[in-house]
Amino acid sequence: MNWVQVVWIIMIGASLMLGVVHLFVWKKQPSQHVSLLFFVLAGSAATYGAFELARMHAATPASLAAVVRWSHVPLAMVIISIVGFVRLYFNAGRLWLAYAVVGLRLAALALNFLTGVNVIFREITALDHLQLWGGAVVVGPIGVPNPWVIVPQLSNLLLVAFIVDASITLWRRGGTVARRRAALVGGSLALCIATAGSFSALVVTGVVHAPTILMPGFFIVVLAMGYELVWDLVTAGQLAAHLRASEQRFRAVVEAVPNAILLVGEDGVIKLANAQTEGVFGYARDALVGLAVEALMPERFRTSHVGLRQGYVMDAKARMMGTGRELFARRRDGSEIPVEVALNPMHTEKGLSVLVSVVDITRRMQAERAAARQRDELAHLSRVAMLGELSGSLAHELNQPLTAILSNAQAAQRFLAQSPPRVDKVADILIDIVKSDHRAGAVIQRLRSLLRKEEPQRHPLDINEVVEESLRLMRSDLLNRQVVVNSELAQALPAVSGDRNQLQQVLLNLVINGCDSMNGHRADNRLMIRTQKTTNGNVEVSVADRGAGIPSADLERIFEPFMTTKSHGLGLGLAICRSIVEAHGGRLWATNNADRGATLHCELPSKAS
Amino acid sequence: MRIAVEGILMRMKEPAPIVYVVDDDPEVLKAIERLLESAGLECATFPSPRQFLERYDRDAAGCLVLDLQLPGLNGLELQGLLEQQASQLPIIFLTGRGDIAASVRAMKQGASDFLTKPVDDALLIATIREVLAKDEALRAARIQRERIAKRLATLTERERQVLEHIVAGRLNKEIAAELGTAEKTIKFHRANLMRKMDVRVVADLVKLAERAGVGSTSKT
Repeated sequence: MNWVQVVWIIMIGASLMLGVVHLFVWKKQPSQHVSLLFFVLAGSAATYGAFELARMHAATPASLAAVVRWSHVPLAMVIISIVGFVRLYFNAGRLWLAYAVVGLRLAALALNFLTGVNVIFREITALDHLQLWGGAVVVGPIGVPNPWVIVPQLSNLLLVAFIVDASITLWRRGGTVARRRAALVGGSLALCIATAGSFSALVVTGVVHAPTILMPGFFIVVLAMGYELVWDLVTAGQLAAHLRASEQRFRAVVEAVPNAILLVGEDGVIKLANAQTEGVFGYARDALVGLAVEALMPERFRTSHVGLRQGYVMDAKARMMGTGRELFARRRDGSEIPVEVALNPMHTEKGLSVLVSVVDITRRMQAERAAARQRDELAHLSRVAMLGELSGSLAHELNQPLTAILSNAQAAQRFLAQSPPRVDKVADILIDIVKSDHRAGAVIQRLRSLLRKEEPQRHPLDINEVVEESLRLMRSDLLNRQVVVNSELAQALPAVSGDRNQLQQVLLNLVINGCDSMNGHRADNRLMIRTQKTTNGNVEVSVADRGAGIPSADLERIFEPFMTTKSHGLGLGLAICRSIVEAHGGRLWATNNADRGATLHCELPSKAS
Repeated sequence: MRIAVEGILMRMKEPAPIVYVVDDDPEVLKAIERLLESAGLECATFPSPRQFLERYDRDAAGCLVLDLQLPGLNGLELQGLLEQQASQLPIIFLTGRGDIAASVRAMKQGASDFLTKPVDDALLIATIREVLAKDEALRAARIQRERIAKRLATLTERERQVLEHIVAGRLNKEIAAELGTAEKTIKFHRANLMRKMDVRVVADLVKLAERAGVGSTSKT
């Protein structure tokens, strides 16, 4: 046994072993097609190596021809599996080149059996004994080259082009792993195939007098690919470790978050629950896992939620659940708590899971209700104070109908005392007395309503009506201050939803402020009150005065509590107005007029919008 | 003598005085109108000072019942405007507010009275009657003065001199000496001026002259 045999057998054995290792890898992970391809490649290379070894020791030209012919079968498999491997492993390479290589190679295989003694030689006439280094003697063919040898050569050329192109694509994609892979695997493949192809071409054409040996090249290719695959295995192992660490982190985070967190599968079944869920829902966390998520909802929502949940799966996005609705959770004991729920989709291979974060907002709701109650109380207090300021005007509004009633009644007495009594006059007088009485009654009614401390109630309101009523209540005050009010009230305004007393308070306040701003100013004291529909369908009331205006730095500050420019009052008026308007979902702001004075704008959402 | 003076006044008797009422509240306006009608007073109502200014009769006798708080021109402003126009129309303010500052100002500007709403019928009617009577007397005196002045204007220079001496209580003889003419001539002038002044006895003549302020000039 000379060294050539020893080396070839080692290469064959090593290739086979590497191939078999990856066959096992593929068996474990059937999705790893690369491993299967590598097994085919390494096996074919080993087979080819065996043929090559046989060829170097052929006894007759005929047996040599037969060995060469049959060696093209594993050769074709090596080349096809290289194409497959590159395409799959690099995820690159032009498909038409791949098909051309494979097609040409299969054509060469056909020609190999149909023309000459094989696709390389038309005939082999003699054996050539070649002396190798170290005294080993191997056999080579002497004969007439087959002209069809151009087909496998072309296939080799295209294969090199395919590999180079795929490697360049991979290199361009960037990243250390991709570049190393492109250089090592792509480089070794291209180099070996180019060298082997050109070497065998030179031998066949007789330019070089040497044996055609391909196995060492294939072996290098197998080693390079094997190295890469093993490296992949190592990386996969590291990834698995990372994954475990990351899952531990995930669990740690889920446990550490103060919210109750549930992981719910696509089917609505709870897969995971953190410790906080026990406090929120009153279930032991282990009891929660496996339950349908609907078990945590009040019964009235359960049926509809199944549909909602399926809808969410269709268009899973991170969002709050049921925006604008009040959500309730059902505890184990059947009690309900208000909650806020955030949904986060998690896409995994096993389908969609949803990370559900639940916050018990009972406390917050209580605080909000307490704040609202305080705001309403403050609004009421300030309303009472404001009515005190307007008491003169209000007394006058009562005094007018009372005057009319007294004079009418006394006129009636006098008419009846005449002789003959003027009874005809009395009927009309009584009608007017009733009318004036109603008028006085309405003023008292409105006053009582404004003074009464009651929960604000939302009703659809015509803002124009509120404006007109406010102006009526302030009539005497406006006359006294010699303020002329012009109003432009838009017709067919949408209704706003609000508390009549609170909105009236806002309007009265704005009008009083407008009047105050004009105290001691020029004679032409005018207020312009407008109502209009805004471009976004809301309703805006604005009160424009012709006073000194507001320094631009104070346009926002005037809404702060205790900010006042007046000698009287607490400076709470506008702050309370703003809180009222904002509680109605609207906004209140100030602007300066182009010519003179300032305008306060109050925008309220319309009932429709 | 008295009968003669009264006769002059009688001939000056005018139509019934008108009570103007200005109030922007239609209910109040109508009720006051009714009340005044029930008291037999002639009355004209206006919802705004402007309408009143356009339509009221400057020369007619009467008074104005005026609301203090009015849109546009307020009561005090209307009062000022009437004063500028040299109107003699007496004004009774009627206000919903017992505003002392405004009432003082109104009275200083010459208001006749200041009443608060709701007003009792007796008080309102009595006040109006009182004001009307005062106004009537003032108007009568004024008109009489104007008539006397008109008659005085028809006297010649000489007759006027004679009148002054008569008012001063001098006898014809004394006057003749004073003026340097015959007593007969003075008698003639005297008869003429008695006729022109439409009086029969000297006492009436003196009374008229005093009312017209003639006597005061002669004493100097």
